[in-house]
Amino acid sequence: MTLAARLDRTAPTVSGRGQRWAEARAGSLLALPAAVYFLVFWVVPFAGAVYLSFTSYELAGVPEWTGLDNYRRMLDDPGFWNSAEVTAVFTVASVVPSIVLGLAIAVPLSKPGRLNGVLRALVLIPAAMPLVATSTVWSAIFADHGLANTLIGLVGIEPKPWLTDEGLALWALVVMTTWKHLGLFVIILTAGLQGLPSEVFEAAALDGAGPLRAFARITLPLLRRTLLFVLVIAVIGAMQSFVPAFLLTKGGPAGATEVLPLYLWATGFGFERMGYASAIAMVLLVAMLALSLLQFGVLKGGDDG
Amino acid sequence: MRALRGTLLSLVVLVMLLPVYAMFALSSASDATDLGGLAFDASQLGEHLSQLFAEGGFPLYLRNSMILSLGVALLEVVFSGAAGYALAQLTFPGRRMLFAVVVGTLSLSPIVVLVPMYLVVRQLGWIDSFQGMIVPFMMSAFGVFLVRQFALSVPRELLLSARVDGAGELLIFLRVGVPLLRPALLTLFLLQFLAQWDNLLWPLVVANDPRLWPLPVGLSQLQTEYDFSIGLVSTAALVTAVPPLVLMFVLQRYYVAGLTLGGVKK
Amino acid sequence: MTMMTRRRLLGAAALTTTAGLLAGCGSEPEATVPADGVPRGKLSVWLHQTKAYDAVFTSLLHSYLQEFGGVDVTPLYVPVDKLDAKLLTAFAGDAPPDLFKIGGWTVAGHARKGRLAPVIPKAMGVSDEKALVATYDQSAVSSLSYQGKLYGVPIDYTICCLYYRRDRFAEAGLDPDKPPTTWEEVAEYSKRLTSADGRKVGLQWILGNPQWTVMQLLALVRGKGGGILSADAGTATLATDAGIEALRYYGGLGNAKLSNPLSGFGLFATGEAAMVVSGLFAMDLFPALNKKLVFGRSFDIAPLPRWDGGRPVAPAYTWGWAVAEQSRLQYTAWHFIDYLQRADVAARQLMDASLLTPVKGWEKLPSTDTKAMEIMAAAAPHADFGPQTPVWQEMAKSLTDAADAVAFGKKTAEQAAADFDQAMRRAL
Repeated sequence: MTLAARLDRTAPTVSGRGQRWAEARAGSLLALPAAVYFLVFWVVPFAGAVYLSFTSYELAGVPEWTGLDNYRRMLDDPGFWNSAEVTAVFTVASVVPSIVLGLAIAVPLSKPGRLNGVLRALVLIPAAMPLVATSTVWSAIFADHGLANTLIGLVGIEPKPWLTDEGLALWALVVMTTWKHLGLFVIILTAGLQGLPSEVFEAAALDGAGPLRAFARITLPLLRRTLLFVLVIAVIGAMQSFVPAFLLTKGGPAGATEVLPLYLWATGFGFERMGYASAIAMVLLVAMLALSLLQFGVLKGGDDG
Repeated sequence: MRALRGTLLSLVVLVMLLPVYAMFALSSASDATDLGGLAFDASQLGEHLSQLFAEGGFPLYLRNSMILSLGVALLEVVFSGAAGYALAQLTFPGRRMLFAVVVGTLSLSPIVVLVPMYLVVRQLGWIDSFQGMIVPFMMSAFGVFLVRQFALSVPRELLLSARVDGAGELLIFLRVGVPLLRPALLTLFLLQFLAQWDNLLWPLVVANDPRLWPLPVGLSQLQTEYDFSIGLVSTAALVTAVPPLVLMFVLQRYYVAGLTLGGVKK
Repeated sequence: MTMMTRRRLLGAAALTTTAGLLAGCGSEPEATVPADGVPRGKLSVWLHQTKAYDAVFTSLLHSYLQEFGGVDVTPLYVPVDKLDAKLLTAFAGDAPPDLFKIGGWTVAGHARKGRLAPVIPKAMGVSDEKALVATYDQSAVSSLSYQGKLYGVPIDYTICCLYYRRDRFAEAGLDPDKPPTTWEEVAEYSKRLTSADGRKVGLQWILGNPQWTVMQLLALVRGKGGGILSADAGTATLATDAGIEALRYYGGLGNAKLSNPLSGFGLFATGEAAMVVSGLFAMDLFPALNKKLVFGRSFDIAPLPRWDGGRPVAPAYTWGWAVAEQSRLQYTAWHFIDYLQRADVAARQLMDASLLTPVKGWEKLPSTDTKAMEIMAAAAPHADFGPQTPVWQEMAKSLTDAADAVAFGKKTAEQAAADFDQAMRRAL
């Protein structure tokens, strides 16, 4: 019998109406600032953006109701489709290595040991580097005579035009983004791994399960909740990624890194078509929500809240 | 096997630190033709440093960044912490709705809310003030989500036993929840500190008074349309990275060792 | 609650409407000329500038404040690539500064949206607009007007010319004293200047940059007798023989894959590019990017080439001082601007900050960059500010997409030109 069940039997007072009332009161109190904050700073602006997405609003005068025009316009706007594609590729290309590498590093790193302790501290350093301040450093790293080419030159690879090759530029951004976020993912995954009950692994070892099998059968399922969090954050972060492209490539070469948020920025603040930009944001929002729901669904049980 | 694993891991981490080294090397670059060298010239760096600190605004930008980043990080920990805990552990009216809003906000592009948010801040009379820079970021969907995910792992048994002891829910939150969530809260503190330390657009839009400018805005002045000194800009990046690094190492002990607690399964 | 939500829901809408109403029925009197002609009030000024200009501006500001005690001025320096976003947010939020520096190419867009106040000639010591225009370079100042009204006065004026590396020319066996004068020659020289591996090239365009794309293509298209947009800026006309040939030529020069944090400017500084199209500011830029570069020895300038037998085209741009329509201190604002634009100040700016204010007779202002000034003066009659359209940003972005697509071999010139015209049909 679990502790909870026993408590339930011996102490009926912790459930029941009194408890529900106490929880409701405390919960409301703790969540009230959040409710007010999100209402004022996100829900209201969001409602404004929804409204604007049905209007023609060029950052001046009164928004003019145009119904579904903005959404229709998206259908035959090659700029939008190019950006949607770039964002999709970028998301897959940056999430998969982040998670795989993150796990590959986190699993050995979660084991005790002094070296691991030091490495755990070091691995987070890139995450502490301000992106805006270091973007210049990255553009130098990816320049013709920059560090990236020096490094691949060491193993005999010809220098590559990282930021000016349509095929490579997006990958240069992936490298920069992964570099920035990997440490954080590693630390969160490490924490999750360290929290797993060790008895399970001992039992698995007794059953003669190999390390890979044990990882797939036991570790991954148990790590669902942490994985879900990292995955949701990684996907959303990738789909909203704006700063690397904005600072490093400005969407070039020839639109190859024009991620959707960048296109949104250009539409809203470059072309001043805020109505259309809002419509694009709504589509992006729906896509992200759908993906989030999917992840919650696939990793069901990772979220037993 | 163990040694191999250690070596391999160390190598990976070393590669991750290369760009940081590149920053050092670049901060001693004499001009824009000097990009690839891995040589480090301390005297050049020294020159760039004195140039940087000779810019009148630098200490002020540093102070403003501190106020902004610490302010946001503290508020974030308190309020997102409370909300995240409540969402995970307490049943209250509107809980599902609030969580839906949090997940929705997480997916909302900040770019489209820039103008509406500016209008809200302007209506509140907070243009050109620290409130205007801090309050719109005092909480985040990310923060609430992070705390909630960790708070889901807090063993209910612990809360139940506290309830049996007759403690009020708020007291349980403070006495049981907060200590268990400490690693998550400290991680959140660090991350929000970093995010604000790196925030360029919002302070730029909201602050018309350069005396309020944080580092990213102030330092962006170093880079005019075509002309910038790569050495100076890299030096600025280097100096900018120091406070977050210090903070990280100070907090390191807590979140690395302590994060395990947050991961405890029930 | 409902009321508040609804009001907020309308967000941008409601507030800007209110702003519009305020501006419409509200307090105009300040905008007119005060009886005593004395400027008063607290002005906010947003600008971007280099340190060199800062020194000029700050000392001017102090002397102005001393002379006109009733005025206070708060200047704010905004990084150039963020100035637009900050201005737009402020406009949308009904809180723009009184006066600001804007690119001449954005005047039409801002003016159409009613954000700009027309000049007040009386505040600037002249009786009418005509007299004001007469004190400036005609074409530079008229590039700041929209639908027959003048919305700004010019500052920081540049006409494009050709920068070339003398050292690279000598290496390739070309005479450094005979830079190419036609685009055909540029292509020919470029062949000789390009290394076998393509890592060193002749002319390199400034790629991916809307403003420079417009100017570079303008020279090529106009030189062929065509245009980016029709004369009335009503339709796009790139998918014509002139446009397609220009695009094809554009895609045929340089190596799009060369990379530098400062694009073509940086590549010229390192010597990978032997020629670039650039403006007056580059005289100071290149020696700053590469300390070994000396004007006249390692690099030099020449008039922008033309097509063989074609007419000369001189792509140009100017920044301008403008005043917000919502400002309650329009008279004071223009009065202060006039102070900044005096001929003696223009002379000092050119000497100290290499910034050219196109006052009348600017060709004779003493400068440290004599050769550049001579070339610009000779080109001035052909100055071309490019298409004047309220959707300039969209036009320039689409043009950049088209030009880059050709430069990177992603599209043929025909395809890119057609795509540009199509995109413009949506925007115009």
